[in-house]
Amino acid sequence: MRAPGTLDPLLPLVVVVPLLVAALLAALSALISQHRRVLDLVAIATSVAVSAMLVVLMARTAGGVAVYWFAGLHPRHGAAIGIDFAAGSLSCGLAALTAVLVTASMVFSWRYFETASTWFHSLMLVFLAGMVGFCLTGDIFDLFVWFEVMGVAAYALTAFRVEEKGPLQGAYNFAITNSVGAYLSLLGIGLIYARTGALNMAQIGRALGHGRPGSLVVVAFVLVLVGLITKGAIVPFHFWLADAHAVAPTPVCVLFSGVMVELGLYGVARVYWSVFGAGLGHRSAITAAFLALGILTALVGAFFSYRQRHLKRMLAFSTISHAGLFLVGFALLTPLGLAGAAAYVIGHGLVKAALFLCVGAVLHRLGSVDESRLHGRGRALKTTGVVFTLAALGLADLPPFATYLGAGWVGDSASSHGAPYVTAVVMISSILVGGAVLRVAGGVFYGLGDPPREDPRLRQGATEERSETSGDEAKVPLTMTLPPLVLVAAAAAIGLLPHLGSVLQHAALQVEDEAGYVKTVLGGAAVHHLSALSPKEPTAVRAIDLESGFGTAAGALLLALGGLYYRRLPGLKRLRPARVVADTFDRLQSGVVNDYLTWLVFGVACIGGALAFSLR
Amino acid sequence: MRPERRLLFFVAAAAGFAAFLVWGLTGLPAFGHYRGPYGYLIDRLTVHYTHATGLVSAVNFFFRGFDTVGEEFILFVAATGLATVMRGLREEENEVSGGEAVSAGVSVPRTSDGVRTLALLLTGPTLLIGWWLTTHAQTDPSGGFQGGAVMATAVVLIYLAGEYLKLRRADPIVVTDSVEAVGAAGFAIVGLFGLVAGGTYLAEVLPLGKHIGAVNAGGTIPLISLCVGVEVMAAFLLVVSEFLGQTLVLKGALDS
Repeated sequence: MRAPGTLDPLLPLVVVVPLLVAALLAALSALISQHRRVLDLVAIATSVAVSAMLVVLMARTAGGVAVYWFAGLHPRHGAAIGIDFAAGSLSCGLAALTAVLVTASMVFSWRYFETASTWFHSLMLVFLAGMVGFCLTGDIFDLFVWFEVMGVAAYALTAFRVEEKGPLQGAYNFAITNSVGAYLSLLGIGLIYARTGALNMAQIGRALGHGRPGSLVVVAFVLVLVGLITKGAIVPFHFWLADAHAVAPTPVCVLFSGVMVELGLYGVARVYWSVFGAGLGHRSAITAAFLALGILTALVGAFFSYRQRHLKRMLAFSTISHAGLFLVGFALLTPLGLAGAAAYVIGHGLVKAALFLCVGAVLHRLGSVDESRLHGRGRALKTTGVVFTLAALGLADLPPFATYLGAGWVGDSASSHGAPYVTAVVMISSILVGGAVLRVAGGVFYGLGDPPREDPRLRQGATEERSETSGDEAKVPLTMTLPPLVLVAAAAAIGLLPHLGSVLQHAALQVEDEAGYVKTVLGGAAVHHLSALSPKEPTAVRAIDLESGFGTAAGALLLALGGLYYRRLPGLKRLRPARVVADTFDRLQSGVVNDYLTWLVFGVACIGGALAFSLR
Repeated sequence: MRPERRLLFFVAAAAGFAAFLVWGLTGLPAFGHYRGPYGYLIDRLTVHYTHATGLVSAVNFFFRGFDTVGEEFILFVAATGLATVMRGLREEENEVSGGEAVSAGVSVPRTSDGVRTLALLLTGPTLLIGWWLTTHAQTDPSGGFQGGAVMATAVVLIYLAGEYLKLRRADPIVVTDSVEAVGAAGFAIVGLFGLVAGGTYLAEVLPLGKHIGAVNAGGTIPLISLCVGVEVMAAFLLVVSEFLGQTLVLKGALDS
């Protein structure tokens, strides 16, 4: 523990170091672009160093939120004059997860890209810095700045391989949709500044205080929310995600699905608890609205995921489904709900990253991401097959993967707060998503069952992926099998950590302790007793959590086998899901950005209308 | 969605959105009734903290300097990303044309003497204004963002006066890339000086100058402004060069 008043120099360094290295690599590009391995090593070393610093910070902030005032501009008379980082252990932990996944995907890229210019490394490092800054900041405008840094880096990384038409279109949809969301967020920040004359989150939170929020606060909240839930892929703001994932290089998808989407939702929790919560009065209307959005997202994502034949799109929709579940965890407004979401984010981030890396290895070796064309062709990729299957089981909440704890805690907290149906939603969506991915595991890597029918939409896209990598390597190199293996092992190991629940719940309580946060940031005082709206709940692993975890995984396995063998079962041969309905839904994902923006405006109008009538 | 249906759907949704937004705007303070406190605080404290009279730059480069580090990197990544995409496209075009740069065979009409004379006449003054803006962040409402953009304009005027293709042969792009990165790194490094010498990142480490509002006042503000100016100029040039190059490729494709 540091004495109060001293500023921890690691806090700025975790953002500044990757930025500086990115700029220096670009500045020296003429000299070092011929030495590919030097670039790789410098970039990997940087992200390893950032991960290590963040782990240290995570330990240091367990005792209290660490505040860093840039340029030493401490607040005067309780009003902030500069920018602060205000990081608790949840923020630092999420940032550490980000840095670990960046490291894994850069190790994977070692052999994945035949040629990689300096740009790739510079963009990845700036992307990392943006995400870390977004996690740590305590200032709402600064939050927006880092949000944009990670956004712009992500657009560029999506379009990184531009020899084909696909990447440009995907990046275009991604950039337009997310930029519109971000502008609405900025408009919301402007409104709240006009009301409070402050940009520091703690200061705004204090100024809005308690009582009736008034129209401006409700509108500002919804507008700020739009940018964040667009990034967080919440229905109906989610359309860009599958398009971007389908075309982005696989190592980049690891970061989009593993952390970027989750950061959007972290932003929702952060902005809610530090800025708007007290002003909006924590009414049940908030819980109801976010529960509805979360459940809709979880089910829609899971449904689409099961219908995909394109592996990257399948994983992308599974991310949407999980994003819905994370939002449900936040919506309960309880420490255990948020802790559950955090455990879920960690577990999901690690296994999803592993799944994407395995798909990358498949693409590298076999040159396709089409489930039907790949059927049975993955037998030779033994390690990759095993890791993919384990990760798929992790995605289906199998104990001891950390995902089952997340699912369990979110369900537990929901049950004790009058929403017992949440457990069912979590199980159904995890079964659908896990079933889809396990179907791929069985079909592609073990040749079980019948290949699914070819998806006509995939035929034209089949060559699209070629540009990433040559697709006929003799052997999957170690740099492509080791990272996913380590990630899956980590997901299981974290699920076995003793006290994980109480540590996470403590971290969640730091986020939800609004009064303590204001005192720490503006008063410079250490807060020893955290208190939040809703008390802590027991986190011991209960039999029912294990049962529902095993139950979900078993359900997913059955669904996967059903998907592989249904044509051989006499009665089921004709049993097809209502094709017409399904096709109608498929058409919503049109790839036309005008449609996506129309949905976005529609979404804002719906959420805005609902909250306007219930909070007014 | 079919376009007509989408239009109907959009109009309905946008009407709901507009109503919601207007409802929120009614909660704004009346025009001219700024409540503070942030603006008032900055107003009072700027001279005390920085000896600078360029208030906007003091906010950009000192009070909210860390935001500006981020913004500078947004520009860096945007320009870099654009260059990556455009170069990818151009390589593709080159492959189509059999390895030869398409631009080699393009007939670009000669720039008229009137345009060239005017561009030459304007180059000097434009460069001077840009330089003045970049180096006077501490005294007046100016700074590296504006100055960099104006300085880039001066270089574009040179492109216009000479022939772009001839200048391009000298390949300024590699140099532009590096200069842009150096500018971006510069600001972040000035911040590190603060961490090492002043205790916190971006802390003031240079003397503030005796006279308030003098050119040598403002501590690190002029230095940061210069870095930003260099970065912005290089980023703009990079973008302009890439677009010009792209235009030539497209022209070449049309000609052949």
